Amino acid sequence: MTSTWTSRIIIGLTLTFLIGPFFIIIAAGLSAGDFLAFPPEGLTLKWYIKVFEVESFRDSFALSMFLAVFGTIAALMLGVPAAYALSRYKIPYGETIKTVVAAPIIVPGIIVGLALLRYLVVPLSFTITLALFLAHTALVLPYAVRVVSSSLNNLRSDMEEAAVLLGCSRIGAFFRVVLPNIQSGVLAAFILGFVTSFNQVPVSLFLSGPGVRTLPIDMLSYMEITYDPSVAALSALLAFMSVVIVFVAEKFLGFSRYV
Amino acid sequence: MFQNQREGLALALPAAIFTAALFLLPVGILLSEAFKVDGSWSLQGYIDFASKPLNQVVFLRTLKLGFLVALVSAVIGYACAFCIVNLDGKHRGRVFGLIVLPLMISPVARTYAWIVILGRTGIVNDAIVGLGLSETPIRLLFTETAVFLGLLQLFMPLMIISLVSAMENLPKDAVPAARVLGAKWLQVFTRVILPLTKDGLVLGGTLVFTGSLTAYITPAILGGSKVLMLETLLYQRVNVANDFVSAGIIATILIVMSFGANILLKRISSARS
Repeated sequence: MTSTWTSRIIIGLTLTFLIGPFFIIIAAGLSAGDFLAFPPEGLTLKWYIKVFEVESFRDSFALSMFLAVFGTIAALMLGVPAAYALSRYKIPYGETIKTVVAAPIIVPGIIVGLALLRYLVVPLSFTITLALFLAHTALVLPYAVRVVSSSLNNLRSDMEEAAVLLGCSRIGAFFRVVLPNIQSGVLAAFILGFVTSFNQVPVSLFLSGPGVRTLPIDMLSYMEITYDPSVAALSALLAFMSVVIVFVAEKFLGFSRYV
Repeated sequence: MFQNQREGLALALPAAIFTAALFLLPVGILLSEAFKVDGSWSLQGYIDFASKPLNQVVFLRTLKLGFLVALVSAVIGYACAFCIVNLDGKHRGRVFGLIVLPLMISPVARTYAWIVILGRTGIVNDAIVGLGLSETPIRLLFTETAVFLGLLQLFMPLMIISLVSAMENLPKDAVPAARVLGAKWLQVFTRVILPLTKDGLVLGGTLVFTGSLTAYITPAILGGSKVLMLETLLYQRVNVANDFVSAGIIATILIVMSFGANILLKRISSARS
């Protein structure tokens, strides 16, 4: 066996490489200078406060939240029935349907965004918000189906069959027997979908338009023009938000089982 | 298993139709566009695309970075996964959690850290100037190295996760047994660990490779227009030149490579069973 020390050093170095940069971002966001610097030149919270004052950040944060919450809910409304059908019914072309629904994961997001823009959004003159909403729903759908399917597959189907035999309607059996049992799977799918959608860049890249941008895209364009520490502060806040979400989800759902 | 097919279809079809309409159809048209020149089917677009030196450089660079990132994450991933699997339960959970955590954090935030580290006034340049290795800061951003480091940090967790779950299935006494029987560490790795964790390596490798090929944020922030990769080239062609033929061609290349890697993965993992 390797000695404990070699093993600790290897793990320590890997974690430093993977997580260390976040501490650097947090510190860089605290720098008092007007330009991004590390080690920070004096300490201040002004950049962390400025983030909340920049209007475009506020707007794009609200848009990203809207897309992440409602896009994921829409994806679950399409995805839960699909996952249920795929795991409980013998349906013709089941495999094809599975592949179709999973496809958006494999195709690079930038292509999805461009294709949607050119052949759907422009010809049908959708608004930017609607286009982004549809794109984010399509993007999250495969995750929703996958996570919910795996919880359904772990749930024995004889319970709901028993409920149906005892006179419950099929829909009633779903809501009274199946749904309470896969609750945490659905919630895990929601969290995974939310995070995926919120952090998504390539799909929204072409779809974002003047004044209507998701937060990550807004950050990308902000950092092209300005070199102050506010993007570092915002990155640190976003990282913190994800850490809290993941921590809470892990504590209450055992989230990592579903990812 | 319920037998009512119509009911099943009614539940599954909305999702399938939604994906087909919003996704397969537009992407399909975009890809077919690349095979048309002046309205008729032709491969001329591809020939023109392949003959431009810039496109060749970008294509090869994307492949090279994809391979390098997959290779280096495999090397570090094996060392790290081996150490993690040998930790006791409580520590293993914690370390594993810390490795998964970055995956949930915005890639923009994750990539931005490298600007702070590699920028003109970043830590590395401060150290270089401070130690007198160079009079003036050197350009570290907008280099292949910067893009490589960013991609490595972004995707290495996927490799470690795959390797850890592969190694958990490794019989506990396989490695000590090989050692007792006189195998050197290299032999233990190539004859025992590698064959038994092949699936995990293939899965991790595919995820990291396709992830790197199709990453947009990292090359955009750390490579800029100096170090273009296929995704950033696609964005530039559309935004700067309105060149949808090149965009369609790059899209096709990216999709063929992603699908190719996925099919290869299925082949290799099913070949065993």
